[in-house]
Amino acid sequence: MGRLATVAIDGGDLPFGGGLLALVRPALNGMEPGGVLAVHSRTPAIADEFFTWCKLEHHELLESSAQTGFTRLLIQKGSLGAPRGIMEINQDLPTRAGRLDAATVLEAVPFPAKADPGTGFAPRGARVEPGGPAYPFALNDRDRTAPPDVAALYDQAVSAQWNGDTDIAWDRIKPLSPPLQQALGQIMTFLAENELSALYVPSRFIARVHPAYVEVGMFLSTQLADEARHIDVFLKRARKGGGGLGISHATTSASLHSLLMLEDFTEAAFLLSVLGEGTFLDLLRYIEVNAPDEVTADIVRRARADETRHVHFGMSHVKHALQQDPALYGRLEAAVRRRSATLAGVNGVPAAVQDALTILVARGIDPPSVRRGHETYRELLNVMHENRIKRLASAGFSHDQAQTLSDLHTPNFM
Amino acid sequence: MADENILLGAVAYDAKVVPIWEGIREHFRKQSVPMDFCLFSNYERQVESLLAGHIDIAWNTPLAHVRVQKRTEGKSLSLGMRDSDRDFRSRVIVRKDAGIKSLKDLAGKTLAVGSRDSTQARILPLHFLGQQGIDLSTVRLLPFDTDVGKHGDTGTSELDVLKALHEGRAQAGTVGDLIWVLEQAAGRIDTGKLEVLWTTPGFDHCMFDALPTLSASKLELFKKGLFAMKWEIPEHRRILELEGLKQWMPPRQEGYASLRAALDDQKGW
Repeated sequence: MGRLATVAIDGGDLPFGGGLLALVRPALNGMEPGGVLAVHSRTPAIADEFFTWCKLEHHELLESSAQTGFTRLLIQKGSLGAPRGIMEINQDLPTRAGRLDAATVLEAVPFPAKADPGTGFAPRGARVEPGGPAYPFALNDRDRTAPPDVAALYDQAVSAQWNGDTDIAWDRIKPLSPPLQQALGQIMTFLAENELSALYVPSRFIARVHPAYVEVGMFLSTQLADEARHIDVFLKRARKGGGGLGISHATTSASLHSLLMLEDFTEAAFLLSVLGEGTFLDLLRYIEVNAPDEVTADIVRRARADETRHVHFGMSHVKHALQQDPALYGRLEAAVRRRSATLAGVNGVPAAVQDALTILVARGIDPPSVRRGHETYRELLNVMHENRIKRLASAGFSHDQAQTLSDLHTPNFM
Repeated sequence: MADENILLGAVAYDAKVVPIWEGIREHFRKQSVPMDFCLFSNYERQVESLLAGHIDIAWNTPLAHVRVQKRTEGKSLSLGMRDSDRDFRSRVIVRKDAGIKSLKDLAGKTLAVGSRDSTQARILPLHFLGQQGIDLSTVRLLPFDTDVGKHGDTGTSELDVLKALHEGRAQAGTVGDLIWVLEQAAGRIDTGKLEVLWTTPGFDHCMFDALPTLSASKLELFKKGLFAMKWEIPEHRRILELEGLKQWMPPRQEGYASLRAALDDQKGW
């Protein structure tokens, strides 16, 4: 026949079903269709086994010849079912001080610009056998899905996880005066309600992200873990020391409902993370500064550190998408306007939340303290507006655009 | 039959037969080929229904195929087969501890065989052994007559043969090479206990059969639909994998001569 093999293996006396296939199959997997594998075997009648197996697998048994003491087989790899993609070889991810982070992996195996829904759950970099079903992934392009620093944000998130059971000095919480305890219960109720929306909204998008951009799903999963922990500790704080939960307002509910109904990932990242959680950072800072005790300050400080990452992801996502698609601004403004229109009846922060934030600062109900509390609360609204504009500018919006968007943002904070 | 649908018969040897033919029917309809199917519980009834004109085409085992040809005096039409239907072989598997070094050593031993209507696990291996000069009256047969009427499609009797060999209830056994290789590739054969003694000559397996009265338009439409199925197309591949092939092939007749001879010898018609 005169065919030359590109790869040869010596199977010794391994039986066909007793180990020889474990050498032959990987060797063929490493070859392109049309490549020829030589197999030397001392197992009797081995050619019959390969005759049937090659037929089943659609390889071609080019030749089988009996030599002295062994059989030589030449198998040509078939093209039916051959995996697509380039085989990864010689990957050796670099470590830094013994650590191997996700950002390093992303650097070695970058995001593709477009992803094929037919590759299903195949990890990025794997060769994919054709013929799998098309998966219902909707987020199949890099620029609308995966900001370049998402792996680094994931690394930060993993390092920054904390435990809402053991890391908080729950024993140090002392009973507060009834008005302050009630105010704190109302604030924690409001925080937990908002964090529930921040748990549910990203979860709707994880299953839509193509696994080629798995770092986005990995980051969002840390966000979900963060939100779960926040919900947990906010509710614990409300119920520790003699209080309980406050009121869930219909206006808060309407505002969060409009977030949950979003179907576009970028719009959701913008409304939830940039505008909503961004504004939340200022609220958490306000509560931390005016917290009635160190434990409460610790809880909201920890939550704020987590939320800062979420805001960073949202800003990075929107900034990256804006750079790739100048028409995006119009869509985001339209989304903010639509949300604003559906919330037309929402006039300011819910009364109970507003009062609770005032009493938190006042620490009591004597009129001079309450006046101070009210002024501090009004300053918070200004701070939120100013910081929103700064964040929007940093995300790539012009000053006028940022002003418009901030003005349209829900008065309900999130 | 004025029905414009091509009515195809298949035997329901497994639950997967329903999704296979529903998938093929959907594919045919997308090709503008009206087609429907009906399922039989055994090949004998399917063959009778084809001969009676109740169905247009039958998806037949080799045994059913040669029977249709004989009953139509060779006038039936063969329409196509799977790539995997070509060059089947059977194997004589022996226990390594049985001291069987050649076919002659089978004398006095227990030979496990598959169902009496299984071409690959009983009819042909016994025929080929006879051709090799083995006097089968000297061999103790251990038959596994499971799923009779399904002509060995289920593979159950072959798995029974392999189980009997592993457990030492037989020293030798006959199975088709497909089951033998698939079971090895899946790591389910103890190669420390079992080995191949002998491989039979090749023979062919299933075939689409029709009566010569099938209209030319139905004949052409069926071929058009069948050969348009491609492994690379995911919804086709799902069906092809279930049916155990990668591509449909045109028919060929030479692979059934040994089966006819075996049925003559064994009075198995």
